Amino acid sequence: MSTSVYLSNPSVTINSVDLSNQCTAATITYTVEALENTAFGSTARTYTSGLANNSITVTLYQSYAAAETEVSVYNLVGTTTSIVIKPSSGAVSATNPSYTLATAYLESHTPINASLGELSTIDLTFTGGTLTKATS
Amino acid sequence: MYIIVSPRIGTPGDKFEPADGINVQALIDGGLISTDKPKKSSKVKEEPVEEQPQ
Repeated sequence: MSTSVYLSNPSVTINSVDLSNQCTAATITYTVEALENTAFGSTARTYTSGLANNSITVTLYQSYAAAETEVSVYNLVGTTTSIVIKPSSGAVSATNPSYTLATAYLESHTPINASLGELSTIDLTFTGGTLTKATS
Repeated sequence: MYIIVSPRIGTPGDKFEPADGINVQALIDGGLISTDKPKKSSKVKEEPVEEQPQ
């Protein structure tokens, strides 16, 4: 059995900006809404596919330095962009697929998220858009 | 034409060709790319040679 252990090498690119070394967590949720089509005569509930409703959530260390997190994220609020995530920074392959969420909307950002004695982090959730998986 | 400024995007100074769906304005506003044209090598114009009166 082969498993994936995420230590330090996943690749996270937001709006073409590689923020991998500021990222500590990433989650892709691939969803196609279920529409119930159960009818009289059915003995169990049944469903058919509705609209895709995908999202990506990432946790990043906050940094206000040039070319770091804040300048890369701040201007994306209220707009759509593309996010690309790979399990490893290596070349895209069947064992290192690339997931791209295109036209994803960023609703909010927390420029200040500070606690005494802790590194500041931000959680971003990109919603909507089309998710594609590439293996080459 | 866009030029890469931030090494998080690529090699600074290289041409940036945005993929579909990339928010270019956000990159410009964040100073991550610029719209500057690549600098051309300076040409030295030779001074005109004045003809000597005979």
